[in-house]
Amino acid sequence: MNPAKKKNFKIEPFKHKVEMDPKYAEKTWKILEDAIHEIYNHNASGLSFEELYRNAYNMVLHKYGEKLYSGVVQTMTQHLREIAKIIEGAQGGLFLEELDVKWREHNKSLQMIRDILMYMDRTFVNNFNKTPVHELGLNLWRDHIVRSPQIRDRLLNTLLDLVRRERTGEVINRGLMRNITKMLVELGTNVYQEDFERPFLDAASDFYRLESQQLIETSDCPDYLRKAEKRLNEEIERVAHYLDSKSEPKITQVVEREVIGNRMRLLVEMENSGLISMLIDDKYDDLGRMYNLFRRISTGLQTMRELMTAHLRETGRQLVMDPERLKDPVEFVQRLLDEKDKYDRIIQQSFHNDKMFQNALNSSFEYFINLNIRSPEFISLFVDDKLRKGLKGASEEDVELVLDKVMMLFRYLQEKDVFEKYYKQHLAKRLLSGRTVSDDAERSLIVKLKTECGYQFTSKLEGMFTDMKTSRDTMQGFNATGAGAEGNEGPTLTVQVLTTGSWPTQSGARCNMPTEILAMCDKFKMYYLSTHTGRRLTWQTNMGTADLKATFGDGNKHELNVSTYQMCILCLFNQADRLSYREIEQATDIPAPDLKRSLQSLACVKGKNVLRKEPMSKDISEDDTFVFNDKFSSKFYKVKISTVVAQKESEPEKQETRQKVEEDRKPQIEAAIVRIMKSRRLLDHNNIISEVTKQLQARFMPNPAVIKKRIESLIEREFLERDRMDRKLYRYLA
Amino acid sequence: MAHDRVHLNVGGKHFVTSRTTLANAGRGSMLAAVIDENWQLVPDIASNELFIDRNPAYFTVLLDLLRTGELHIPPGMLEKPLYREAEYYGILDHVKAARKGPLNGNRLDCVASISGRATGDGTAIRASPDGGCCVAHGSMVHVYDWLMEEKTPLTLDYVNVNDVGFLSPNRVVICTGERENGAGGMASFNTKTGKIEHKFQVVHDGESKNFTAAALASNDIHVYASCRGRSYEYGVGTWDQITGRQVTFLYEGPGRPLGDACKMQWLPRTNLLLVANLFPSSDHCFITLLDSRTKGKVWSWTDVALRGTADEKIVMDTVAMEECSTVCVVNQFDNLGFIDMRTNNQGVRWSHRYQPSKISEAEERCYSKLACSGSQLFSSKNDSVYVFCSPDWDASKGVQTARLRRKEGGAISDISVGGDRLFVLHNEEDVFDVWETPGPSQIVDIY
Repeated sequence: MNPAKKKNFKIEPFKHKVEMDPKYAEKTWKILEDAIHEIYNHNASGLSFEELYRNAYNMVLHKYGEKLYSGVVQTMTQHLREIAKIIEGAQGGLFLEELDVKWREHNKSLQMIRDILMYMDRTFVNNFNKTPVHELGLNLWRDHIVRSPQIRDRLLNTLLDLVRRERTGEVINRGLMRNITKMLVELGTNVYQEDFERPFLDAASDFYRLESQQLIETSDCPDYLRKAEKRLNEEIERVAHYLDSKSEPKITQVVEREVIGNRMRLLVEMENSGLISMLIDDKYDDLGRMYNLFRRISTGLQTMRELMTAHLRETGRQLVMDPERLKDPVEFVQRLLDEKDKYDRIIQQSFHNDKMFQNALNSSFEYFINLNIRSPEFISLFVDDKLRKGLKGASEEDVELVLDKVMMLFRYLQEKDVFEKYYKQHLAKRLLSGRTVSDDAERSLIVKLKTECGYQFTSKLEGMFTDMKTSRDTMQGFNATGAGAEGNEGPTLTVQVLTTGSWPTQSGARCNMPTEILAMCDKFKMYYLSTHTGRRLTWQTNMGTADLKATFGDGNKHELNVSTYQMCILCLFNQADRLSYREIEQATDIPAPDLKRSLQSLACVKGKNVLRKEPMSKDISEDDTFVFNDKFSSKFYKVKISTVVAQKESEPEKQETRQKVEEDRKPQIEAAIVRIMKSRRLLDHNNIISEVTKQLQARFMPNPAVIKKRIESLIEREFLERDRMDRKLYRYLA
Repeated sequence: MAHDRVHLNVGGKHFVTSRTTLANAGRGSMLAAVIDENWQLVPDIASNELFIDRNPAYFTVLLDLLRTGELHIPPGMLEKPLYREAEYYGILDHVKAARKGPLNGNRLDCVASISGRATGDGTAIRASPDGGCCVAHGSMVHVYDWLMEEKTPLTLDYVNVNDVGFLSPNRVVICTGERENGAGGMASFNTKTGKIEHKFQVVHDGESKNFTAAALASNDIHVYASCRGRSYEYGVGTWDQITGRQVTFLYEGPGRPLGDACKMQWLPRTNLLLVANLFPSSDHCFITLLDSRTKGKVWSWTDVALRGTADEKIVMDTVAMEECSTVCVVNQFDNLGFIDMRTNNQGVRWSHRYQPSKISEAEERCYSKLACSGSQLFSSKNDSVYVFCSPDWDASKGVQTARLRRKEGGAISDISVGGDRLFVLHNEEDVFDVWETPGPSQIVDIY
């Protein structure tokens, strides 16, 4: 290097502030604008992403963000206007397809534009609270395409028309529909809702209102329901195929309202095919369908339940009040059970074991069973019948099944104490005559009653069983002493010692027994009192039975199975062949009604008339005369002469039982009042009534008037007193 | 997988990577878009590579970040240009995530100490959700982004700032005292432009009223502030963040002082709003939790009954630790106290960690401030911040697990937690410290 060559100074001007090319922004934007055009024209292959991105970046960096952003809006709008024209120009069915194609293209273009402007999105848009590019693109599409005046209505009408055509059975392009509705959803939920869903629901509403009107006039109820179900499924399927899933509850609601809700009354009450006839004919499928459809309406099931309850109560009322049915208690109860089974099956098979329906069924049964005050008696008679003969040979499970059903009816009874009264009578008869089929079944029912009503309810019934068992033991002891069977000549005595109170009480049973029997009785009495001191034995002659060996005219020998009364009467004929009614009455001292009944069965029953009555007639009068029937014959060696006992109670007996029940209730009501007052000390009348009713309703429904009487009686006996200030208040006196 | 391979030419330097690696950048990034099939990549036929006109040195670091998830900045490389490059490629979030981890009080590094140029003392510091912060100085608010670069300062017409808070990284709300001419009150500002966005009004009987906004809190939708006007307008106002309109105004009532509240906190899990009236703005301390929907009082605590006792404890600051269902308070002797916020009428369980110490009259006293992050509690005392942890705040009073202290700065006047950072504002000098937990990638296991 030659130092001499250099050092020629060059004076440079002051450096001015570096100015960016003023056209810079314009130029850069031009590049980007062209690129956007190319993208929309599907001509992007020649573009360099890196270059475009860098340009957009630089524009934002040099504070031209606003220019870039507004430029993009303008360019996109321009393109969308052109696209709108193309879509508007599409003919007929091609309209939707064109829209779909353009939408997909727009999405792709938008994606690419967003890629280029990514930096602007992150910084400029963020800092100045602008709409991000992607969202901007969607909004512009919404405003310039979907909501443009020429497209908006046409689009809606086309969509609704397609749906309508599909409803009437035509096949439509579901894929295309799906794409279009998806587009609306992507533009925003409110776009989908406002521009499509709401009119769609309105149209559906009109369609189904009309259709259901026509349908209900031409079809019967099951047919209508089948079609309604089909329509509902179609709509659900439609949503799955090409609508937004959020529309499902809305459209089903429309169908439910128009097709079912508004026609509900008409449907269930439809003559000959509505709910009632479905119930009568056990139409499980139809009922199930009705249940499933009506469940969708808020008041649907209630409507069904109300109608079913009304129907049940009415038929039940007819059933229990039908005088024909009252003739046969067993048949009566069997009908109730059948009715219950029928509805149980319906509820199980068609109503999904709906608890509300079960409750309606129960309350209906409770209602009408208690309409007939003889229901407790009849149910007890039904059990009696089953336990005496009905269940012979039945397996243990079958027995349980019958008993469970009986218990179910028992639960409906309000007057459970009446049932208990009858049951006790019937059980006593069964036990004493030894005619119960199965001890296990008897005990099983007692256990059931116990679980249902508590220990108190059954303690006496259990006492009866205990008595039977102790009696057997006592008899064994008695026979072992040798006193019982005095050789083989004399009569054999079997005694059942019954605890007073546990058994149905018998009013003043008396009769003069034959002397040989009387002797036996005295022996037993001595034996029994020797083992149990301090007890009193009374003979219940009205409850016993006797087996007599009798020889008739031709040496015909028969064994007669008779009641104690009848035995007494027949023994009289050992001494005489002809006796008048008065002579018999005098000799036996049997109460007149029992005597008449016994005589009736000895003389008036065909085939069992061991006595002849003069004159011949059906009824016994006090002037009759009875003759030993020498010519009596029978195919059987053993002849059972049953007393003419009304199985069902006669009217006066019924009254008597009723009275006894009322009488028994008094102490229970009093006890309840005292219990309540003891804890509450001071209580007003209405509250006492309601509390007493609450305490006792497990056993019976106390009558408020009766409770009032009991309260008065307690006041008289100074258990309670009225408050001096407030006469409605009662005070407990300890 | 040859077609998975991508040849890049960044600023003249050749890089070979895979589509999989670039896809790690995420669909919203430039690097993912550059290989998107929409752009029908036709690489330069001759070189078979994609050209990117950027500095290759930074790209090397960023590509490694995408490959490994770890950020290694070579010695000598400046951080800010690197972040700028990351922003260009659209992977700044990756960088941030790699740089700092979730805030952990026991593993904090002081990453920056920023000296301001303000004349007065800083009165309050608030963290922004993205790691930036703002500092109130008298009638000014200085805003810093997450790189601790200062933005346009917000000046407030010489009204003193009472409270300030971020609605988003770009928006702050400032509460000030009222002025005669209707100025003051409350407004939101765009931090990028420094311009006012909304002025929040208190409307009473259909009229806008002058008011002083004392404390504020916010959730995603609303801004809440305690306000006191000239006559009736005492209470807590609720405004919509987007429209700036007043939504409701909850007037204070007897036993429910609200307008003077000097601390508010939004509890996102339970949707409750903590409102605290503290000394010295009110004589007694009232801490109330309001249901944001019903505006009813759900829980409250007050020291009215406790005043006048021998060792009178005046609550100076409070913070609700929602995760632990505990409200933490601190008194004038820096004692921490804890109140169960699940049942009403609870007593305070005081911890007697600090004994009342003699403080010379001349020295300006800074009362302790509280902040929390999850179940970690931060409490300032003099020139240090103490970190307390407890597995179960119900029963224990916490264990002091760390002490954060810097040599300079002097006493601490305010602390704030947000964006996984702890900000500590000093009283004596205009300086604040930024503490953060290093990212997982920077932990090197050495065996």
